[in-house]
Parts: sequence; structure tokens; C-alpha cells
Amino acid sequence: MMVVLAIVLGPIIGGLLTGIDRKITARIQGRFGPPIMQPFYDVFKLIGKEKFINNKVQIVYVITYLFFAMLSLVLFVMGQDLIAIIFVLTVGGGAMVMGALSVRSPYSQVGAQREIMQMLAYDPLLIIAAVGMFMVTGSFKVSDIISYQITHNAPLLYVLPLVFLVLIEVLTIKMRKSPFDISAGQHAHQEIVRGVHTEFSGPYLAMIEVAHWYELMLALGFVALFFATQWYFAVALVVLMYLLEILLDNTTARLTWRWMLKSAWGFGIVLCAINLIAFYFIQA
Amino acid sequence: MLDTLLLVLIALPFIAGLLCLALKNHSARAVVVVLVSVVLMITSIMLLGYGDFKYTLGGQWNELITYLDFALLVYIAWQAFYHRKYHSFYAYSAVIFAIASIVMVYYFDFVMAHGVEVEPTFFADKLSIIMVLIISIVGSLICIFGVPYMKDHEHHLNLEITRQPRFFLYLVLFLGAMNGLVLANNIVWLLFFWEITTLCSFMLIGHDKTEIATVNALRAISMNMLGGVGFTAGVMILFSNTHTLSLIDIINSKHPASLLILPLSLMVFAGLTKAAQVPFQSWLLGAMVAPTPVSALLHSSTMVKAGVYLIVRLAPAYAGTWLSTAVAILGGITFVATSALAVGQSNGKKVLAYSTIANLGLIIACAGINTPLAYAGAIFLIIFHAVSKALLFLCVGTIEHGIGSRDIEDMHGLVDRMPLTAVISVIGMLTMFLPPFGMLIGKWTAMEAAAVQPVLLFLLIIGSAITIVFWLRWAGILMSTSSRPVKRVVENISFLTKTPLVALAALAIILNVAIFNLYNTMIAPLAKVYYAKATETFTQVGNGSLVNTVGAFTLWPIFATVIVVILVSIYAVGKAGKNSVVTAPYMCGETADNNEDRPRFRAIADGWVDYNHSNYYMNKVFGEEVLTNGSNIIAIIGIIVMFVVSYMGLQ
Repeated sequence: MMVVLAIVLGPIIGGLLTGIDRKITARIQGRFGPPIMQPFYDVFKLIGKEKFINNKVQIVYVITYLFFAMLSLVLFVMGQDLIAIIFVLTVGGGAMVMGALSVRSPYSQVGAQREIMQMLAYDPLLIIAAVGMFMVTGSFKVSDIISYQITHNAPLLYVLPLVFLVLIEVLTIKMRKSPFDISAGQHAHQEIVRGVHTEFSGPYLAMIEVAHWYELMLALGFVALFFATQWYFAVALVVLMYLLEILLDNTTARLTWRWMLKSAWGFGIVLCAINLIAFYFIQA
Repeated sequence: MLDTLLLVLIALPFIAGLLCLALKNHSARAVVVVLVSVVLMITSIMLLGYGDFKYTLGGQWNELITYLDFALLVYIAWQAFYHRKYHSFYAYSAVIFAIASIVMVYYFDFVMAHGVEVEPTFFADKLSIIMVLIISIVGSLICIFGVPYMKDHEHHLNLEITRQPRFFLYLVLFLGAMNGLVLANNIVWLLFFWEITTLCSFMLIGHDKTEIATVNALRAISMNMLGGVGFTAGVMILFSNTHTLSLIDIINSKHPASLLILPLSLMVFAGLTKAAQVPFQSWLLGAMVAPTPVSALLHSSTMVKAGVYLIVRLAPAYAGTWLSTAVAILGGITFVATSALAVGQSNGKKVLAYSTIANLGLIIACAGINTPLAYAGAIFLIIFHAVSKALLFLCVGTIEHGIGSRDIEDMHGLVDRMPLTAVISVIGMLTMFLPPFGMLIGKWTAMEAAAVQPVLLFLLIIGSAITIVFWLRWAGILMSTSSRPVKRVVENISFLTKTPLVALAALAIILNVAIFNLYNTMIAPLAKVYYAKATETFTQVGNGSLVNTVGAFTLWPIFATVIVVILVSIYAVGKAGKNSVVTAPYMCGETADNNEDRPRFRAIADGWVDYNHSNYYMNKVFGEEVLTNGSNIIAIIGIIVMFVVSYMGLQ
């Protein structure tokens, strides 16, 4: 039941959120902006377009990306192991990188290298966030993490505030928001055409878009885990977080991948470590 | 029955090796190598059917081993001395270590422990059997690959007299020595086989007799003999503390840990040298000058696996001590340092070498965590690493013979030139770091086991993220392909080259499907025996997932997704063949040339401009000159700390 909901509702909500994002962004920039449903119109239009490809292997990578993005969300709603989910997420990201590398285009090649840097930046932080949740709740499983918070009425946000702060950075990278829209982005912030997406068009680009919506939902799921005592608190936190991301996206300029790595590893890992050590001692 | 199995697994490779040395005819030698390989594979599977055993050989055998051990050490000393003009420091240090070993072994065998009988001489539990299977199946496939490879190799060198007889002597003998090593219960025997592997690796690394090959071989032997000295000293202290030489007694902790801890730390040190852990990584990196089958063998099923075998084998004996913590941290340091070093390399073999060392570090970290969960993780990693890494080395060897380079940057678009090898290489790489493949299951197990040791966990998380970088970009460019229609190439590789590649690739995939069976029948029984007192509940298999106390890896949705992806891809690719337009890469409005081999586009005044692209190697961050010294110093401090805590008997 939950699985079907995740597969069907996941991209619908994800698409709507993207539409809202575009509307708010437009208003911030003093434009009227597209209708909320625009992302769906875009995807339908793309599906109907002629298929331009560079090689057939690309298609396999796109399909892998889509289904593994779907799978990671499904595993999440099934209440599975967080580390396993993060590993599954890697498959999708990896497929995207290999797809970009499969074409001998400098734009997509550079995009792929940058995407690898992004994965290198966020992957350890996501796992450390999962470890933080484990240290509090004693389990890596999403279902246990939620039931712990409900039974103890103790949101994770209170004990893992710094980890949550780091998660904001992770999500900014994962959602391709400025200042970390380094390998590809929605805005024309960057000079490498469309980065990893450069060589995909038509229905294949549509599939990438849908896959991205699944990943967006998973990312917001991670946020929700920090306040899972009541569903409305979780939703409120997600909404706040999403608005914050949009604000960040529109008020910051794109940075280099070096800066991203330094901040993610320096700032991110140190903050997480401080938080976890503090928790360890307070608990003891 | 058991006599025959042991005879075939341990003695047959020695006999066959000598036969290879005697045979001057290439075809006859090829037949011997292939035949022995097949027999070894079948015998190892028969041993699996036979199950655990204990087997005792009488007193004369012990004496024979003692004398052979002397002869071996003298030969090693002489070999090192003979090559002294290539690198006097490594040569003389090896000679000194060998002489030290001889003196110690003499004192031990004739004064301390003269005529001590150990029962049994050989024993096998599931760990030994797993190791025998890896050595006999993966190792044999590498030997088969070696037959056509060495012919081609010598063809390039234009030798007047073939040196292949000697090469196959040591290659085949290596397998016998490894089988002996993992089956031995008498530690003196274990030490003897240990030194044979040292000699074999020296001979094989220096096989090409170039200056660099000889220097690197000397480096390998001097570091490994240092480990050998540590091992011998460990055995002596062990005997004087406990009066036992039986491995079973040690791991079943029949003696108080305070008496065991110092000898164990010395044996662990020997394991670290053989497994090429930082700061001893340089010998394994140097070993890649050897012909590819040697690298494949050293990195996957023999030599380095002897090091981790010893550390994992002894793990239950030092569980819960500070030594265990030190081992875990040392493994973690190596994992992070060498993963990072791999990122900075564009030499394919070097990337593989660093990745081997990193994964061995991970296995050793698991041994150091020393819980049933971590033990299972270590064994998962040993098995799956052996298969995937052997495959990858053989692939790089094949690629090197095909394109004349081992540089990753020269492998752009390899799928157009060597389709079969490229696809098999990519399979090998994906099995190294993605779910649902075994290496990743091992990594996941390691992480969840390390959750109780936050410092180590941070090391594992960072190292694991770094490994994604070098696998992903390498796999990606192998499959990068030209957009113009290419003529379908059928690779012209011989049957004996293709068979091991395809067999290992199949093994790398099939083993993953059988992972639950593997766990239930081979790994779980081990953890239950050696960690009977552990409070943590054991990992279990249920509903298509591996379940432990802190998490669960549900594999069936992943397998299902993989199948869906394959089916949808076949459909979509077939459909795209009919109704899609193939175009050149987008070049900002200026059409790229779709008809030339080299990538180029039209620029100023309609002239053609070539363009190029390459991977990020980030040498200012991940270069060897940046990272090597620092990590060596940290690891040396770590080893010193390990000895100090062991010497003080801290628990």
C-alpha cells in the first residue's frame, strides 16, 4: 500500500513542489512565473519529443537512474535501513555520472566530474547523519527511528541540531540548489551548459526529471525524520526547510567544487562530530 | 579420502611446479598448468563437500619441515645477497632479517621446542575451506590466464631462452603453499608456508629481471622478511608463555589473554606487512611491475590474503583487548589513506593496487572490531574482493596487451575497441562498490558493526565515500563511446584468456545471488563457534534480507529492480534503434564533427578545432607526494602504540 503510494504520489508531490519552487523563485526575482503545474507540462512535452541520442548505452543509464531513485524512496517508506537506502541512492547517482561520461562531450564530461565531487561531498555526511540517528535511537531502520520518537515523544532535532544543520547543506547539494548547483542546475548560473544533463533530451530528459522528483521526496523524508513525533510537525519542518532552500537558492551565487568539498568535509564533518560527541557525554 | 584431498591441494602444486620447470615445450607446459588448475578446482569443491576435519602427521614430518625451513631461509638470504648490487639497503636488510630468522628458528627448534608434537597438524573449519576455495578456484583461473598471457608477454620481450618454466614453477607452487598455510594448525608449519609465499612473491615480482623489477622484488622480500622475523619472535614468545603451538588452542582461548597478547601482536604485525598495510604498502605497489598474472595472484587469492587470513584467524583470541582496538584503527587508517591515494592515480594498475590495500584495511578493521557481525563482514569482503579484484587485474592485463597502455586516460571509449573486455571490466568495477553486490554488503556490515566505535566509523564512512570516486569515473570512461556508427568489433582473444575472464565475471555475479546461502552455510557457523559468548544477537537471514540487531539490508527489492531495469532497458534500447536520431555531442551551437575519429568542432573562420577531456585527478589533494609520508607516519605511530599496549598487557 505504502509502496504503491510512494511510486504514484512521490513524483506528483515532487512535481508540485518543484512548481511551487519555480513560482516563488519567479516572485522573488520580480517575475510572474509559470503555473504551478508547469513541471508536469514540461515533462509531458518532453515525452512527446523526437528521440535524439548519442549512443544507446545512455538509455540504460537513464532507466537505471529512474528505477533506483524510485527504489530508494520505496525502501524509505518501507521503513528500511538508512545506510542501505543511501547505498541504493548511490546507484542512481552513479548511473547519471556514467551516462554523462558515456558521451565524448566536454560539457557533460566536466559535469560528470563535478557530479562525482558532489557525491563525494554529500555521501559521507548523509551516512554520518544516519549514524547520529542510530546513536540516539539504537537502530538504523527508518521504522525504528520513527517509532522511537513517537514512543519517547522526543524529536531528534533537539538532540541533533548540528547534524540537522549539516543536513541542510547536504540537501542543497542533492537538490542541485545554489550555492552548490555545481554539476547541473535549474538556473543559468553556470557556464557548463547543462552539466551532467547536457546530452540528454526528449523522453530521456523527462525520465531524469521524474527521477529527480523521487530523490527530492527522499531528501525531504530525511528532513521529516528529525521531527517524527507527530506527522504535522514533520510536515511543518519539511515545509520550513523547503522554503529555506528556495531562499538560499535565490540569494547565493554558485561556488566552486573545491569550496564545496572543503565546507562539506571541514565544516560538515566537524559539526557532526561535535554534535555526536556532545550527545555521547550528555547521555553518559 | 582426506589424505588424497590434502595431498592434491598442498603437494600436487609443488610437483606440478617442478614439472613445469622441467618441461621445455610450451604446449606440454600449458597442458600441465591447465590440468593442475582444473584438478585443484575440483578438489577444493570436494573439500567443501567433505567439511571440517583434523589431520595429524607424525614426528618425522615435523623434522622434515624444520630442515626445509632452514633450507628455505638460507635460499632467501642467498637470493637477496646475490641481487645486492641493485639496491644494497633492501638486499642487506633482507639478508639480516633472514639470518635473524635462521638463528631464531635454530634456537627454537633445537633448544626450546625440540621434538614437540602438535595435534592436529592440519585442521579445517569453514574459514579455512573458504580460503581453500578462493585460492584453488580464483588462483587456478589466474594460472590458466597466465598461459597465453606469458606467451604474448615473452613475444614482446624478444627473449632468446624462455623463462616461462621458472615462472610457472613459482606461480603454481604459490597455490600449494597458500593451501598449506590456511589449513595448517601447527604454527611452525604455518610459518614455513608463510616463508614460501614470501619467496614465491620475490621470484615472481623480479621475474622480468629488469632493474626496477629486481629492486621492487628486493623491497618486497625485505619487508616480508621483517614480518617473518616478527612472526618467528611471536611463535617463540607464545611457546614460552603457553607451551602450545596449536592454532586451535589459541583461538579457542584455552590460555589467559595476558599470556597471548604480546605474541599475538607480533603475529598481527607480520600480517600487516604481508597484507601491505600502510606503512608497508610500497612493496605491493612495486609488485605491479611484474607480469599481470602475478599482480592478479598477489592481490586477490594469495599473498596479501595470507596476511588478512592470519589477522582474521587470530581475531577471536584477542577479542575485547586493546590490541583489538589498535588493529581496528590501523585498518581504518589504511582504508582511508589508500582510498584517497587511489583517487590521485591515472595508472590503472596503481588504482587497483591502492584499492586492494584499502579493502584489506577494511577487512583488518573488521577483525579489530571483533564482533560476530564484523567477523561476518570480514569474510564477505575476503570472498568478494578476491573474485572481483582477480577479474579486474586480468582485465587490465588484457587491455594492456590490446592497447599498449595501462593509463586510464587511454581507455576512453574502450568499449568500441575491445567490447567484451570493457564490459567485463565494468562488471568487475560495479561489483566493487554498488549494491546488491557482495563488496557493498561487506562494507555495510562493517559500518553497522563499527557503529559502536565512532572514531573507526568516521574513518570507514570517509574511506567508503572516496572509493566511489575512482571506480565511477573509470567505469564511466570505459563505456564512453563515439556517436557515429562504429563497425562492430569482435575481439580477437584466445580461448584460454577469455575463459578465466568470463568465469570470474560469472562468479562475481552468481555469488551475489547465492549470498544468503553462503551466509547461512559458511559464515554464520563460524561466528557462532568463535563468538559464543557475544551478547549481540547474530545476523540472520529472513525474508530476503540480512538482519542484525541494529539494521537490516533487504536485498530482494534491489534484485527485483535490477531485473526490471534490465527488461525495460532491452525494450527501450530495441525501440530506440528504430525511432531515434543519433547525433553528435552538443557543442554550443557549433556542430561537432561526427565523421572523424578524434573529437572536434567548427570554430573561428569555420576551421576545425580538436578538443580533449580528461578525469579530475586532483593531485594537489590526493597526490602520492601529498599523502604518503603523512599516512606512513600516522601508521607507524599506530603500530608502536599497538606494541606498547600489548607489551603492557593492557586489556
